[in-house]
Parts: sequence; C-alpha cells; structure tokens
Amino acid sequence: MDVRSQVSMVFHLDKCIGCHTCSIACKNIWTDRKGAEYMWWNNVETKPGTGYPTKWENQDIYKGGWEKNGDTVSLKGAGKFKGLKNIFHNPHMPVLDDYYEPWTYKYQDLFTAPEGDDQPTARPVSLVTGEHMDVQSGPNWDDDMSGSIDYARQDVNLEKLSAAEREAMFQLERMTLHYLPRICNHCLNPACVGSCPSGALYKRGEDGIVLINQERCRAWRMCVTACPYKKSYYNWNTGKSEKCILCYPRLESGQAPACFHSCVGRIRYLGVLLYDADKIAAAAAAPDDRLVDAQMDIYLDPFDPEVIKQARLNGVADSTITAAQNSPVYKFVKVWKLALPLHPEFRTLPNLFYVPALLPTMATVSDGVYNSTSKSLWNGVESNRLPMKYLASLFSAGDTGKVTEVMKRLMAVRLHRRGVTVGDLNAAEISQALKEVQMEPDTADAIFRLTALATFDERFVIPPAHREESIEMLENTGDVKGNTGFGFKEKPVRGL
Amino acid sequence: MKQVNKPNPQYMRKTFFFFLPITGFFLFSISATHAQDGEAIFKQNCSACHKVGGGRLVGPDLAGVTTKRTEEWLMKWTRSSQALIKSGDADAKAIYEEYSSIMMPDQTIPNGDIKAIYTFIAGKSEAATVAAPTVAETPVSASANATPEVIELGKNLFIGSNALSNGGVACIACHNVNYTGVIPGGLLAKDLTTAHSRLGGDAGILGILGAPPFPAMTQAYKGKTITEPEIAALTAFLNKVDKDTANQVASSPYLLLYGGIGGLGGILILIYFLWFARKKETVKKDIYDRQLKSI
Repeated sequence: MDVRSQVSMVFHLDKCIGCHTCSIACKNIWTDRKGAEYMWWNNVETKPGTGYPTKWENQDIYKGGWEKNGDTVSLKGAGKFKGLKNIFHNPHMPVLDDYYEPWTYKYQDLFTAPEGDDQPTARPVSLVTGEHMDVQSGPNWDDDMSGSIDYARQDVNLEKLSAAEREAMFQLERMTLHYLPRICNHCLNPACVGSCPSGALYKRGEDGIVLINQERCRAWRMCVTACPYKKSYYNWNTGKSEKCILCYPRLESGQAPACFHSCVGRIRYLGVLLYDADKIAAAAAAPDDRLVDAQMDIYLDPFDPEVIKQARLNGVADSTITAAQNSPVYKFVKVWKLALPLHPEFRTLPNLFYVPALLPTMATVSDGVYNSTSKSLWNGVESNRLPMKYLASLFSAGDTGKVTEVMKRLMAVRLHRRGVTVGDLNAAEISQALKEVQMEPDTADAIFRLTALATFDERFVIPPAHREESIEMLENTGDVKGNTGFGFKEKPVRGL
Repeated sequence: MKQVNKPNPQYMRKTFFFFLPITGFFLFSISATHAQDGEAIFKQNCSACHKVGGGRLVGPDLAGVTTKRTEEWLMKWTRSSQALIKSGDADAKAIYEEYSSIMMPDQTIPNGDIKAIYTFIAGKSEAATVAAPTVAETPVSASANATPEVIELGKNLFIGSNALSNGGVACIACHNVNYTGVIPGGLLAKDLTTAHSRLGGDAGILGILGAPPFPAMTQAYKGKTITEPEIAALTAFLNKVDKDTANQVASSPYLLLYGGIGGLGGILILIYFLWFARKKETVKKDIYDRQLKSI
C-alpha cells in the first residue's frame, strides 16, 4: 500500500446557476496576460452542448486521453512513437478557431471620436493580431442553447442515443439543460504528464496538483492534445503551455482556490482524499464497466488505522490525515456515493467529481394545454428529462445503472426533506424511497446539511501545506520576500 | 628609457643584409629553370598524353609542332585550349575534334616553363625522325591480359580497401565508375567508366597516373606518387570496367528525374490515404458557414 494524499473536488451540479463568476475570478487572477487571453482554466458549459474548446469530448477529433491496451493503457495520440511521428506537426491539435479568437473593444473611440451623424462605436479588436475583427465565436456561445442545431445537437454524448431518443430530448415540452463547470481534474493518471517529451509536467507530491514547469516546457504542446479535457493551453506569447494550478499559492496559505471561493451557488467542495498509488495502473486499465468502481476502490478510508499507519510511513502529515477525515469530498464520493467522475472512459482517473443535477421530470401536454405537474410532484428518475443514457455517457462510461443509483439517492434525500419541511408526501412513499437506496434518515439529513447549509469551512477543508517549514530548513525565506510570484526567472526567448 | 615603437635603424640594416642572399637565390633559381629543365617539365606535365616522336597517345605527337604553329598560338592553346576553340580558331577546333573531343587541361605553370617545354620540343624534333601520322594505329592494351587477381587488386585500390602504398587518396574519393560491387564514387572529377577507351588505351592511363597533369590531381598526389604495380593494377581494373560497360544497356539519364517525380507522387498519394481522416479544418466550420449564410 502506497498511501498518498490528493486534493480533490466535488461540484454539485444541482446548485450551479451558470453565472460564470468562477471563470471571471480565475481569469482576473491568472489568465488576463498577453497570450493567455483565450485560456479558460475554469469554464462553465451548457449540457447538452459542445463545450469549450468546441467538441472537446470527441476524442476521434482530438485524440486525447488513454486507451486500453491489453493489461495496460497507452496514450491515444501521444507517447514515444506516435508523439515522435507528430512532433513537428500534430494534426490533432486544437487550433485557435476551435477555441475562439479573443478580442477586446476600442473603448477609447467612444470618447475621442470626432463629432458626426452617427453614434461613436467601440469596434472589436483581436487580442492576437491587434486588428479589427468580426467576432465569430466566444468561449461560451453555447450558453443555454439546449436544442440548438450548432451546439446541443452536436453533443458527442448523444451518440449512444437512438435518433428517436435524441428527437424526444429536444421537444419543446421536455427540453432542458444543466451547467457543467470544468477545471483541471488533477488526475491520478494524467495524460498530459505522460505525453510531455520534455518532462516539464509533474504531479506535486504532497497534494497531487498537476503543474507545468515553465522553465522546462519546450512548447511541444503534446499536453494540449493529450489532455482529453483540453485543460492545458499553449501561450503563444511566452512559448510555453499553461494550465490550471488549482490556485496552489492560495491553497498553501489556507485559502480556497479563486473559482471555489467566488462560487455564487456554493456548488464547490474541496478536500483531501487518501489513495493507494499501487492500484492506479490496474484501475486505469480496468474494463469499461468496472472503471468507476475501480477508481472508487483507489480512495482509502482515512479512519482505517492501517491506512493512517501507512500514510504516516509515506510522510503524509498528521494534519493532512485529519483534513482527509473531515473532507467533504470523501463524504460525497465514498460515504454517500453521490458524486461521479466526468468521462471516466478517458482513463485519466480524474479527481473532480460531479453530483448530477436532479432535473425537472417530464411534463405532459393534454388537449393542447401544457401541464408541468404530474401525479406526484416528482416522478421516478426514469422519467428524467435527460435520458439516463445521456448522463451515463457523461459520468459513468455508459453504465446507466451507476447514474440511476446516484439519481435515486438524490431523489430519496429530496423526498425525505420534503416530508420534513412541507409534509405533503405520503410517509410510506418516503421510507420506501430511502429503503430502496439503503439510506437512513440521518444520512439524508447530513447530505442535505452539507448540500444546502454548509459553511465555508465545511465546504473547503484545506490541509496545511507545511511548505514554509520545509523551505525554511533549506533557505532563509526573508531573502526572497516580495520577489516571487507567477513569472519567469529568465525571460523566455521563444514565442512571439 | 627604451623606445618600443620606433624602428631601430641598426636592426633594419641587419635584416636587409640577412634577406639579400635569400632573395637573390630565389630570383636566380626561377630564371634558371629556363632551358635546362624543359625535359623534366615536359615529363611532369605533358608526357601523360603527348610524345615527341613515336606516335600519338591521348593527344597528338608534338614532334615538329614548333615549326607548324606560331609561338603565340601554342601559348594560347596551352593556357586554355577551350578558350582558343571558343574564339573561333578553326585549326584548334579541328584538332579538338580529331582527338575525340577530349579537352586538354589548362596549364597554370609559369610562362617561362611553357617556353622551356617548347624549346625542348624544338630541340628534340630536329633529332627525332618524325613518325608518319598513322592515325589508324590502335594502342596496345597489355592490361587486357591481366589476371583476375590484378583486376581485383585494382578494384580494391580504386575503392580504397587497399591503401595506396605512398599514402595517396583512393580514386573513389573524386571519381565514379559503374561496376558491380563498387559504390558510387565522388563527382568532383570525371566519371572513369569509359576512361580506358576515351584516353586511348593503357598508355593514356599509365601516363596520367604516372604524372598527373590535372591541377587538382597534381596537388592531391604531390609526394604521394602511385607505384608501378599499383598503376598496372588500376589500369587493368579500368580496362575491365570499360569492357564490361560496353556490354551493358545504358540507363536513361532522366531516370533520377522521372523516378523522383514518380516517387513524390506515390508518397503524396500514400499521405492522402494515410491521413485521410485527420483534422483538416476547425470543428466550428459548420457554425461559421451557417453564420455566413444567415447574413
């Protein structure tokens, strides 16, 4: 047993209102630099939709992630031979048009334009070329566009649905959408790290954050294609690739990452998971129907004395073990089994888990009258507006059983709380729902509490970093006070 | 105080008297090469292709040439026969064509040396009985009877498997021959595949290898002369190469061009099929096209 700690995340999709505050918080801190304008380390997508960059989930186009290769896994579009073959021209690389051309407006023209017959306008200018441009697309132009030809109907997750099922999804009476905020998953088996020819990417030992060493990056951009979530971006100005750093400077000082901190819907949870690194290889190569279970088996019980003993032997600090015991992520993922990884079939073992949204169930139309209510307030999850097959394609590699189970647990909690707060439901129906998912009313209350009423400190259980102690053993931190931050020790000579 | 920058007159005078005899010696030795060394210079530079009396080799027999032509014409020819031909001299052109259009290398030796050579030729022509210009005379090829071992040795010397005993560089560095088992050689100098017949048999090759008349070759083999047995072996080898080539079908000189075009086409077709499914345009193309249509 090789016990390590991983800072992991849960996003509760039922709570996301799609306001993009997280994206803006991240942009203002990290990616408003030249060359980084098009990067959205955090972005919010609408599902069904094509996301950002467009159609990122379609690995036939981008060749990201791993594929099963006998007892092991190999990179789909990178690695020694495939990587070398494409090292000077990688056809699977997303181009700027697959993202969008970033722009700003010439606001000064509004003030300095000479008097004329027309209102002065602020024309859009490209942030890449500096020329006037016609804006063709943006990073979230599929926002709320469920049912659209260009976005929703191009969603790659619809592939497993029959034509009739797809058509039914986009009928006006049952059309729906939910949001999908995405950041780097800081995977246990990161394809970006595996693909880098320069060895510039690495996974931090103490908290598992995946980072790109800006001194060693040689701009091969293999990570850009290899990451199936397209969360590694190339900065054309510095000639280096960049990605979400999970705000590690904030984490080290005990603050939640900016997107977590700013989240209006309070959908985000952050905490430590202890995992067994020896099991990674087997879990990544598990057969499709066992993928989610195999990944869940990697995460260990932080209360198990044996796990604690092994963790200490591995140098995991006691404070980190305590943080793992209080981790909201551990509760959502392992104890309550409510959260699932996004696209486990990419086999990177992502550490960002999603609680799927309990969307409104189907409405009916009778005699031309739209009727949003039904026999009971909530029908069974089977009549969910989004088919289980669709959700299974997102969260469980196509295993509808897994998603249905999670939805039933969520529904049981909601029925239970309806009984407590409103009391208009049949008690037998509620206990039947709880029994079906083997959940105690106490557990349902605890889930409700962490979902709806959790305080800041309950949502973000950040382990002390202990970086200061280890650095102070080697050097006097006073020497560099005020001198460090994001940037370069030596100015890079590559790039534009 | 010692003056460093000002020249010391006493030192200057000493230097002058030191260099005087040396300079004098060089001046004397240059002028002294005039007549005495005519024979030696001829042997060094001309005898590979020419004889004075005794018939033609690669080039014509030079007996009596000094009376037949003016000194000016001879000097021009020797400096650059091609320039003379290009200037429209009919005699020069006739000679060039008579001798199978083999160009005589331009000579860069001093004027004095050339004059010395003609002085030598004039002297010798008087003594020698001018042989009748029997054009039909075919040179004897002793090398045709060479044993396979000698030819093999010649081949090894040519390609450098056996080093030349005086350290000369192997022929293949600058020359090419088409012969089974010999890799393509250098392109710096002439292709030697048909050299044997082109140079008029053994005599031409023996002469050239004995005293290389071409400037680059002269430099390359200065002080590294090729020994008699080596020359014999190389001559035998070149004879064999020549004879074998005569039986081969000549390949088209455009083979490389056509082959290259064909190969490129093949590779392009292969690439087209190999990468047919690759991402060629942005994934948003449909959206952009629809945007344009809706305007």
